[in-house]
Amino acid sequence: MNIFKKIGSSFEKLDKKLSTQPTNVKASYENVETDNLKLVIREGTISIDKMEKIQKVMKVISLIIIYGFLALMAIVVILPFYWMIITSLKTNDEIRATTQTFWPMVVMWSNYANALNKTVFDFPTYLINTLIVGIISTLGTLITTIFAAFAFARLNFKGKDILFMILLATMMIPGEMMVITNYITVANFGWLNDGSLSQLWPSVDGQWFSGARLGAYLAMIVPFWVSVLYIYLLRQNFKQIPNELYLASKVDGKSDWNFLWKVMVPLSSPTLISIFILKLMGAWNSYVWPNLVADDPDFRLITNGLRNAFSVDGNVQYGYQMAATVVVTVPLLLLFIFFRKYIMKGVGRAGIKG
Amino acid sequence: MEIRLKNLTKVFPGNPKKGIKDTIAVNNLDITIPDGKLIGLLGPSGCGKSTTLYLIAGLQVPTSGEIWFGDEEVTRLSPDKRGIGLVFQNYALYPHMTIYKNVAFPLTNLRVEENRVYKVDVPAKIDSQGNVVAPAHKAGDIVLDVDGNPLKIKRKLKPEEIDSIVRKTAKLVQIEDYLLRKPNQLSGGQQQRVAIARALAKSPRVLLLDEPLSNLDARLRLQTREEIRRLQQRTGVTTIFVTHDQEEAMSISDEIVVMKLGVEQQRAHPQEIYNNPINKFVANFLGTPPINFFNGNVKENKLYINEECVLDLGEKKLADQEVTVGIRPEGFEVDPKGAMHVECQNIETLGRDISIVAKHPCCERPMVKIIIDADTKVQAGIVTLRLKPHKVFLFNTKTEERIW
Amino acid sequence: MQKKNDWRAWLYLAPVIILLAVFIFYPLISTIAIAFTKDYNYTAQSGSGFTFDNFATIFETTYVDDGSGNLTAVYSDVVKYAIPNTLIIVFVTVPVSIILALLISVGLNSIKFLKKIFQTIFFMPYVTNAIAVGMVFSVIFMGGSNGDGLWNTIFQTTGYTWVDQGAPASRAMLALCVYSVWHALPFKILIFLSGLQNIDKQYYDAAMIDSAGKMKIFSSITVPLLSPQILYIMITSFIGSFKEYTSVVGLFGRAGTLSGYNNMYTIVYYIYDTISLRQVQYGCAAAVMLFVVILIFTAIQFAVSSKRVYY
Repeated sequence: MNIFKKIGSSFEKLDKKLSTQPTNVKASYENVETDNLKLVIREGTISIDKMEKIQKVMKVISLIIIYGFLALMAIVVILPFYWMIITSLKTNDEIRATTQTFWPMVVMWSNYANALNKTVFDFPTYLINTLIVGIISTLGTLITTIFAAFAFARLNFKGKDILFMILLATMMIPGEMMVITNYITVANFGWLNDGSLSQLWPSVDGQWFSGARLGAYLAMIVPFWVSVLYIYLLRQNFKQIPNELYLASKVDGKSDWNFLWKVMVPLSSPTLISIFILKLMGAWNSYVWPNLVADDPDFRLITNGLRNAFSVDGNVQYGYQMAATVVVTVPLLLLFIFFRKYIMKGVGRAGIKG
Repeated sequence: MEIRLKNLTKVFPGNPKKGIKDTIAVNNLDITIPDGKLIGLLGPSGCGKSTTLYLIAGLQVPTSGEIWFGDEEVTRLSPDKRGIGLVFQNYALYPHMTIYKNVAFPLTNLRVEENRVYKVDVPAKIDSQGNVVAPAHKAGDIVLDVDGNPLKIKRKLKPEEIDSIVRKTAKLVQIEDYLLRKPNQLSGGQQQRVAIARALAKSPRVLLLDEPLSNLDARLRLQTREEIRRLQQRTGVTTIFVTHDQEEAMSISDEIVVMKLGVEQQRAHPQEIYNNPINKFVANFLGTPPINFFNGNVKENKLYINEECVLDLGEKKLADQEVTVGIRPEGFEVDPKGAMHVECQNIETLGRDISIVAKHPCCERPMVKIIIDADTKVQAGIVTLRLKPHKVFLFNTKTEERIW
Repeated sequence: MQKKNDWRAWLYLAPVIILLAVFIFYPLISTIAIAFTKDYNYTAQSGSGFTFDNFATIFETTYVDDGSGNLTAVYSDVVKYAIPNTLIIVFVTVPVSIILALLISVGLNSIKFLKKIFQTIFFMPYVTNAIAVGMVFSVIFMGGSNGDGLWNTIFQTTGYTWVDQGAPASRAMLALCVYSVWHALPFKILIFLSGLQNIDKQYYDAAMIDSAGKMKIFSSITVPLLSPQILYIMITSFIGSFKEYTSVVGLFGRAGTLSGYNNMYTIVYYIYDTISLRQVQYGCAAAVMLFVVILIFTAIQFAVSSKRVYY
């Protein structure tokens, strides 16, 4: 407890030092002789011409500094992307050469062919898995989110506020608190590799569908079908739809359900698109949970597959690794380029919630 | 501090791609604002008065022309070096600081210039031959440079000094009780006084106010404009304020500058502007109720409205022509022998005056507004009126300039 | 008309409530329960009573006899690596990334030309994958027997190993911190920038008229008016960096720079390991501790900030 007091009091002292108000002086300072003080601006005695010249010079200098700093930071930010692409096109020897090159001496498109070889990095499989999981997960989330946001935004019911508070509180809990139990739960449902589902429909060679596959998909999709954050976002959106529209639809004799789907959803489409894209990106990028519950090479998601396809020991094939990384990263960047607005607005609004 | 605007012009460039034309906000303004006076910039919205204020403040840079503070040209100087105080229309009080800190903020950025003094006794410097090279000095003596002028130093204000100035200024605008509150805890009128205090605390060379009364309710407006007047007279600082309310400008300004579309229309003492408007716009802008305009013509030095000879123009001769006639509401007298006839629509007793709303075929507006003394007897129907010559203004129909 | 108590709302909420109950509320209780369960058996999913032992075991120091009767303390991996690593990550990357993000945001806010391009560039790391880019950084930080990577070339530190086999923990940590900061910048910049854009320009005008210099304006006007965003970023960054895991996986592929050697352990890495080791009671205990630590830190931040954050 003492430490807190110390921290608090040292902040107090700092605050006092920085403030201009003398906090331990009495108010009788009106008698301090101030009428004869000659107040001047800092450079009051330099000629106006000089001041204007200095002003211009300072403006140019500050612009140079700002643009220079931003450019430097931008290069630092972009460099890994650039490096990723050119490394994916280099030979392994060139990558390991003592002097690094900033452009491949020989452009090795073959790195991509080699990397996408089924034995190295089974891109098609991972892609299909990720798309299935991603799209079903996203659609499911959209539906649950729309329903819940509608209930919180438009309907009145007992306990509405308390329930919403509880929902918000869950956002504070770190996912690690739930992971272990969820793993056990999912195992209990029989969705894991040697669980009941896989015994129900045993894997048959050549047959794509199997109990284990179904289980893996379920395990990756279902626990994350609800996102409290997106419920919060969509509720905000729904609340902004004017009440008059609702009353008008009532006058027209339409039901709530009709209003929800014919009016509210279309009006909130930018937010819904943001949620869709962000959730899809989330599925693409997810690693931890799929790694836990779907580690069979056939069921892996793309990020999971990426990491596990390349070992870090022995003769590391950096060229192939980077080629695979490019393949994994490019779709995200494409999404970003085309849907930049939705992504940045969605992240921004999600961030402002604090 | 006398302020001089020389051929000041500010053009806001348009966007040719979007078809937006250049906007000339201030057009060749040339005014001298004498030291210590309270000047009002008056005009409808879009007339360039706020832009002029911002040019003086330095928040905008003019396209051409010069601005002089006294004998210094400050045209392109950035605002932080101009030494002005500005009261924004929305006050712009720093929301995260207490009132005390708000008012003290400018003081923390200024320096005190004073004479450098010796802190201790300094003995005289004597060279090897016993001659005095540099004289002795006692503590407290002013240090002189080679020319014998006092050496100046600049230092920060001490907390006691800041405290004293803040409290004195607070007392001036009567906000001493709120010093520890935050801006969002104050009412609009109180916030404005804080804004004024913040502007005055630094003893500015000129005080600028941007539509100071427009955000206040009617009751507060009357009170506050008197306060502005009182403050200005007490501190003697050159003050320029911007408004679109002619009554405000008339009541407290030493001089009014009427502006329209960036061009100065007339600049004079309020009463002078009222009695002698230079053109139709100025005549129309000042006066409540507004002036009445009629179509008339001059023939043989007599004024005719609606074929009725209402006025002899007397000594000042005017050629025969069509004119626009402006007659102040108080420029009519009920006189059975009068030449002008109006059809009375409504008679209102206002206690001290009587207001008549009447119809006249040659009036530019649908109704004529007439104010007469309450003791006059008047009945509904056609009323005969006589004109008071000094309340009648004649304007050129095309240029709208005053010709009589 | 809108009813006062629309029971249909519960129908709409049913899916959400069920899913939350199964995958959030139940696990929350269960994790805490397991953490305190004595002799928890994974396969049987039951234990035999209440105990604090699981917490103790995590920190357990075993004593090893080195053959001549001297006992040397062997600290658990959690104590030796996970806790120090996590703390370093938190207290190094969070301040550095916040300060950098603040400077970049202020710079971005003050320019017009090229602003959109810079904004797009700075946001790019956010859309990428922590694992994928981690692997890119492992190429950048290549060194030692694998040949010198970009970092070694630029900084003339030939022969240094950063993430490869046998790299010393200090260098590996530097690489991890560099990567973390790189990845953490875009979100912060986004939030700071939008906060800056919400500050009324008139305050800057007023400050200029009050003769404040650029530095003064920054410290007295910009930062205080940005304080809600700064607080938000501080809290979320601290919490996020306590949970650092995927960046370690991406950069190193495993929990350390040598197989079997956990010198890059973080707390969350440990938690996930306990699942595969079927020793979830320790993982649960660690998770509970993590939660408590995060709560305390957040509470401290709120307490300290209440006086200095202006809404």
